[in-house]
Amino acid sequence: MIRLQNIEKVYRTDTVETLAINDISLDIAKGEFLSIMGPSGCGKSTLLNIMGLLDEPSRGSIRIDDQDTSRFNDQQLAKFRNQKLGFIFQSYHLINDLQVLDNVELPLLYRTSSAKERRELATEALVKVGLSNRLKHFPTQLSGGQRQRVAIARAIVGRPQIILADEPTGNLDSAMGNEIMEILINLNKNDGTTIIMVTHDENMAHKTHRLVRLFDGSHVQ
Amino acid sequence: MFRHLFKLIWNKRKHNVLFLSEILVSFLVIFAISSMLVYYYLNYRKPAGFQYEKVWAIGYSNPLKTKDKDTLSAFYDQVKSTLNAVPEIKEVSFSSYNFPYANSNSTTGFEYNGKKYNQVNFYQVDENYDKALSAKVVEGRWFKKEDRVMKNNFTVINTTLKEAIFGSQSAIGKLVGDDKAKIIGVIEDIKTGGDFYPAGYGGYKMLDSASFEWIGTILIQVTDNADAAFESRLSKLLARTIPNSNIAISHLTDLRDSKNSNTVIPVVIASIIAGFLIINVALGLFGVLWYNINQRRGEIGLRRAIGASGNSVAAQLVTESLLLASLSLIVGSFFAIQFPLLNVFDVPSAVYFIALLLSVLFIYILVILCSLYPGRQAAAIHPAIALHEE
Repeated sequence: MIRLQNIEKVYRTDTVETLAINDISLDIAKGEFLSIMGPSGCGKSTLLNIMGLLDEPSRGSIRIDDQDTSRFNDQQLAKFRNQKLGFIFQSYHLINDLQVLDNVELPLLYRTSSAKERRELATEALVKVGLSNRLKHFPTQLSGGQRQRVAIARAIVGRPQIILADEPTGNLDSAMGNEIMEILINLNKNDGTTIIMVTHDENMAHKTHRLVRLFDGSHVQ
Repeated sequence: MFRHLFKLIWNKRKHNVLFLSEILVSFLVIFAISSMLVYYYLNYRKPAGFQYEKVWAIGYSNPLKTKDKDTLSAFYDQVKSTLNAVPEIKEVSFSSYNFPYANSNSTTGFEYNGKKYNQVNFYQVDENYDKALSAKVVEGRWFKKEDRVMKNNFTVINTTLKEAIFGSQSAIGKLVGDDKAKIIGVIEDIKTGGDFYPAGYGGYKMLDSASFEWIGTILIQVTDNADAAFESRLSKLLARTIPNSNIAISHLTDLRDSKNSNTVIPVVIASIIAGFLIINVALGLFGVLWYNINQRRGEIGLRRAIGASGNSVAAQLVTESLLLASLSLIVGSFFAIQFPLLNVFDVPSAVYFIALLLSVLFIYILVILCSLYPGRQAAAIHPAIALHEE
């Protein structure tokens, strides 16, 4: 599903050159639930951003769903992200000025779908994460766990093949973290969604199919 | 997407108060200035209605102590004959003080068929006035010398007054005014207040013998040979013909320039002040949009992640600004529309409607210009960095 070959990412300033990812190759199969672990600053999020086509590697190639994404222009990248990928972030990234339902609808706004269709899909996604009674609430009226569920609903509303989750339980207590993890496991198991999750939590990581460990930008396990 | 953006704007309306207020104030200022400019432009496009070049106005004071009408009439007929005998003078006409481009006016009002006509400019002239100004009689006839002698209560009105009272019907023979003067002719509008003002309602009456006691203007149309040397000779001739009088010769071209300057200079000053205001507003809008974008880096990063291209992010921000501007324009237009509805300043409604359209267009262009660059900057935000900042 995702093939990374010799990925290298270098951040350059006038005086400093930082190697964030050093020659990483990785194959992720369709329907796999993979977790990425490592100490802070080891390049986990950078790798996830590269897989999510939010960042470009300095060297190497990425193939997703058998497509070479390095040749995509900005428009094609945006369309690809919209249709194939879903994102979950540690800090949720919800728009506080929009109601829950409107937040979940966001990815569908960049597709050609009717308002009715968007509403139905968003409601369905919110039912899936157990928030059918919070459609008209604003994010600021929700708990951390509920906000992350909204973010998951937003990630799955477009029925992407891949979900990229950057420390989805990082801001939650263990009970809420487990709830979120359950939702992700069910998505993977029931819908066959490929999930790549960055985490600091060993317990969460061990619930996934495979664990990749990074250290100083290199793949160590 | 439009509905989504409107919802977003509506939910953030408190944050957008500054933006909304700036647009509203700018719109009202632009509406005021453009109303003025449209009014002046529409008037400017209309013909002057007479030939002002080679027309000189001779101002004099009546030196005769007598109040006897016949003596006065005979004296000024002699003055007219003397001037008519000068080869460089083509036409001579006596006029009241409110001749074209003079700083005097005389207005009256009357009722006709139950409708009031106010601010009717009232001119007292003689039988040569139309020729001296090369004015065109469009219906009926101009005064004849006999009209003075016969004591007929005749009047000539201008086209604006004729159309206001009679529309497309003929005005000839109708009786108007409190003194029931009979209309004998309709003359083309003469813009006496300068190029930027309308002729307004105009009514002309024949000077009678008694008028010579108080009128003080002779309009002369001169030939192309009339130069400064001639003006000097004319001045001496007048001093001899009307002794003990204060004579002043002025050219209608100079008076017209002066009248036009009196209109143009305040407009230029107001436009410069409005220009500075608009520059400040533009900088303010630019700053507000820039600030908003910096406050929304996370949201922009998110939108990029879930499927927005750089161009669609830029387009979204420009559209948001235009929607916000539209809210202010709706409020502003509500106030602006009161001007034609209430007939404020007695200006034609079309002026306000054209000014309204121009102001709306101007504000939209201003908003687009001010939001284009911040929009491009937003499009350039790197999604990975923006999402990490949050």
